[in-house]
Amino acid sequence: MPGFRRPSHPVQARTSRPLRPQRKFRPGPWALALVGLLLAGCQSAGGAGGGGAASQRLTVTGSSTVAPLAAEIAKRFETSQPDARVDVQSGGSSKGLADVRRGSADLGMVSRALGPEEDDLQATTIALDGIALIVHSDNPLPALSEDQIRGIFTGAITDWRQVGGPPAPITVINKADGRSTLELFLDHFQLSSADIQADVVIGDNQQGIRSVVGNPAAISYVSIGSALQEAGRGGAIRLLPLGGIAPTLANVANGSFPLSRPLILVRPARGLTPLGQEFLAFAASATNDDLIRRESFVAPPR
Amino acid sequence: MDRRPWPDGLAAALAWGVAMGITAVFGLVLADLLRHGLPEISLGFLLEAPREAGRAGGIGPVIVSTLLILAVCLLTSLPIALATAVLLAEFSHGRSGFARLIRASLDGLAGVPSIVFGLFGNALFSLALGLGFSILSGGLTLACMVLPILIRSAEQALREVPSDYRRAAAALGISQAASLRQVLLPCAAPGLAIGVVLGIGRALAETAALLFTSGYVDRLPGSLLDSGRALSVHIYDLAMNVPGGEARAYATAVVLVVLLLVANALTLGIAELWRLDGGTSR
Repeated sequence: MPGFRRPSHPVQARTSRPLRPQRKFRPGPWALALVGLLLAGCQSAGGAGGGGAASQRLTVTGSSTVAPLAAEIAKRFETSQPDARVDVQSGGSSKGLADVRRGSADLGMVSRALGPEEDDLQATTIALDGIALIVHSDNPLPALSEDQIRGIFTGAITDWRQVGGPPAPITVINKADGRSTLELFLDHFQLSSADIQADVVIGDNQQGIRSVVGNPAAISYVSIGSALQEAGRGGAIRLLPLGGIAPTLANVANGSFPLSRPLILVRPARGLTPLGQEFLAFAASATNDDLIRRESFVAPPR
Repeated sequence: MDRRPWPDGLAAALAWGVAMGITAVFGLVLADLLRHGLPEISLGFLLEAPREAGRAGGIGPVIVSTLLILAVCLLTSLPIALATAVLLAEFSHGRSGFARLIRASLDGLAGVPSIVFGLFGNALFSLALGLGFSILSGGLTLACMVLPILIRSAEQALREVPSDYRRAAAALGISQAASLRQVLLPCAAPGLAIGVVLGIGRALAETAALLFTSGYVDRLPGSLLDSGRALSVHIYDLAMNVPGGEARAYATAVVLVVLLLVANALTLGIAELWRLDGGTSR
């Protein structure tokens, strides 16, 4: 019966169609079956994972910059040690430090060198990352001095004309608080977070690159590996030299580029499980140089 | 001749325009996703494990983790939400202090940013309850997050069932439980489904709350106590932390949208079945 509306609620349904075959739909049993299935999954894995296998698990948490690299290293480690499991979690350098101190992680990933007040932890460098100042490729300025950069980011310089460029208001793109790139940047230029007068606040490298690509008057700072990769792909960005040193991977590796940082794994002074020690040695070995390059970082001198 | 006054025509045109505008926004987003993501999608992409930090390989384990997290979330939140909504709509006086307190806390909960849920879930489920980074932690955290949406929409749906039905059931001597099961809930099913659809949407889109609870591990989970990466976390990581991961991020987003549409269709279908059959069972 085209156009004939079906009864819109059960009370009508009952009176209008008394002889309808009883097709019962009950969500309850289905849900129960699903719960059972999930619990069964829980049970079997709990049984298999108990005892010996549990001690073969390693948890690594921390910097979202290091996490993709550490996860790749962990996968390679797992293929050489089939009964070991390395769980890499992201969440930020400060979370990595806190988790290691608290004991909820075996190793922490941190994307900067440890400070003197962090001597309760021991660091192992697994890769290096440089931070490059980037501008749009249409920006004709060859370089900026450290004082000019400081002026731009503190709001003392607001127009490209003031540093010898074409007149245009500068768009300052800064990292969000808690980012280790921001910490490294502030530390190098001896600024505090409150000094920065930012027009745009971003979270990650890719976001910073995209913001500069989309704005010819913008300046930002991002991971040198990401920036070089984007520039190499023909992205509309240019990396500025710093203190006369060209922003290249070679200059980061030999330590001459001023704005670079180590990517480290930290372990607590109280020690580490044998599996943790093995993984640490594996992560710091030259076996992973191809992985480091692929993540656009720089292998440390070995 | 039936000529409508011009303000009516204008209102109709406006309503049409707005509706078309909303559809166009969704269409544009979808077109952009499909344009960038579709070339990357293949059977291998859907089944294989990620390699090279997600730039190669597929998202098979990520899809499995996402479905498990969603299942945990819905199986824990739905019964609680339904029970609370029934309490609020059927068994409590609408303006009693108790009901008001529950509603106020739910509305407060609905406004909490998801990162706060993430930190809360990490502190409660992962650390205090010892579940660690696991699918269980993630699903339970999401359950806390979608509860306000589910409860408030379910309550509203129950309230919209005409009171005559309750009186009719009472007059026939049907117990309150039976009238709830056979009349009120089936009648409210379409409204309940809308709440579930919104809840699923919020759960599948969630990144911040899951990063700290279900975690980042992209291995195929062996149990609910394993860490498992959700699709949204995978998209976030590819777009933000993995240089050259953008194409795969688009492709993963396409899968996420398709998954969402399928989940919505299933939910609405189940609600329709329940509405039509609920009253005639037994």
